[in-house]
Amino acid sequence: MSDVYVVGADLIRFGRYPDRTPAQLGAEAALLALDDAGLTVRDLDIVYASSTFNAASMIGQQILKQIGQTGIPCVNVSNACASGATAFREAFVAIKSGLYDVALAVGAEKNPKGLLGGPIGDGPSPEGLFGSGTTPAMFAEAGMIHAGKYGTTMEQFAQVAVKNHHHSTMNSKAMYQRETPLEEVLASEMIATPLTKLMCSANVDGAAAAILVSEKKARELGLSRAVRVRGSALASDPYEPRNPVLLDADSVTRLAVSKAYEMAGVGPNDLDLVELHDCFATAEILHYENLGLCGDGEAGALIDSGATALGGRIPVNVSGGLLSKGHPIGATGIANIVEIVMHLRGEAGARQVQGARLGLAHVLGFSSVAGVAGVHILEKA
Amino acid sequence: MAETGEPSIEGFRCADCGAIMIDQPMACRACTSRTPPQAFRVGERGRIVTWSTVLRSFPGVKTPFVSAIVDLDDGLTLKGTVRGVDPESLGVGLPVSLVFDDAGGARAPDGAPYVGFHFVKAGAAE
Ligand SMILES: [Zn+2]
Repeated sequence: MSDVYVVGADLIRFGRYPDRTPAQLGAEAALLALDDAGLTVRDLDIVYASSTFNAASMIGQQILKQIGQTGIPCVNVSNACASGATAFREAFVAIKSGLYDVALAVGAEKNPKGLLGGPIGDGPSPEGLFGSGTTPAMFAEAGMIHAGKYGTTMEQFAQVAVKNHHHSTMNSKAMYQRETPLEEVLASEMIATPLTKLMCSANVDGAAAAILVSEKKARELGLSRAVRVRGSALASDPYEPRNPVLLDADSVTRLAVSKAYEMAGVGPNDLDLVELHDCFATAEILHYENLGLCGDGEAGALIDSGATALGGRIPVNVSGGLLSKGHPIGATGIANIVEIVMHLRGEAGARQVQGARLGLAHVLGFSSVAGVAGVHILEKA
Repeated sequence: MAETGEPSIEGFRCADCGAIMIDQPMACRACTSRTPPQAFRVGERGRIVTWSTVLRSFPGVKTPFVSAIVDLDDGLTLKGTVRGVDPESLGVGLPVSLVFDDAGGARAPDGAPYVGFHFVKAGAAE
């Protein structure tokens, strides 16, 4: 089977858009990606649209109503924080199958304000009576396991936020573009120990899009700016004795990344950069090990070494990540792929990872009862 | 959890592979055996796996409180609030006891009380 290429990729600046609909945000990202590819909506064969909160209202068709109702098939995807990666993967599968030559994967979200989630069902709210179901508390508890097992410190978790907020000062499309020194991260409002407010992802609106094409179409368009999809994997949380009472970010990520490495025929040492799911600072520490960027128990030392900062051995979240660029749920999984594409083309500006040839994008999604992880490995064509 | 009489907590165990789960699926989540895991009653002793002091929660929720994940000695894992402890004194493996309560005094629409639970340090009076 022939390869699949990304020939267009872009995103809108993440932030708050009170006067615009999710479909309008998605349409803007779709047009940016089409322009980037030198294509029009008439070139599209199929659309995969992701939105955790708007898939049920057919956001994909709403996007087409903004940019051109050409009658092509459109699939709407909701898969928690992995919605975008799922849409991208389905577009990849559709092209890989040989049925289509040009697919749009677009993710758009207007996040609800405040803490995401909340009580569901009848009876008294379980929050506070039966521990906490907030996402900060769940990732705090996951981080505390790492701290208990390996001695990871509050400062090491906080350094993830310092690094990613620093990276976003070089990204004009990030929600925040402001340095946050360690003292400021540690002194910001404590949400759930050990996570302060600056160690939690920025709750924003946003949209991102990618154009995937067949090898035939890519050659027609020219390969100079094309990026090849080397690995694509999606995993559902496997059985673990404490799941789902204890959030298990680890086993589902390890399952997805092992499949993606296998498909690509590469390993973590071959990567030049990584965009991973830093929904909370503790999560980035866990995923260093889950993705194999270091050995188990070495993540604290890895952040201390500076290896994951821009200029280091394996830069992680040079976009600013979810912590600083922002986390519009259904768009996140496409936005991190867009970031990888920019670096592989050498078009990432001040934050460019020099000589980048191979990059990995990871997302983790979950509800109170289930989990999902998506991993994509992309290569300069 | 029983609504009347002595409260207790049930876990579900697969007779084929021994996997334990918090609710009863149609087939075993671990080994896929079509014999549904069967209920068993768990005891009230366990150990802390991890915890967090929650200072910000959903609107209207009183904070701070300590949220913890506890492995019960009988194999089931529960999430619950730990009461009556200094968070600084918590640690992985700390023995705790399950205490049944009235779920904050909440009442069902028909006036019936709910049964809830929380954790205290093992040996602590409550
Ligand atoms: Zn079984």
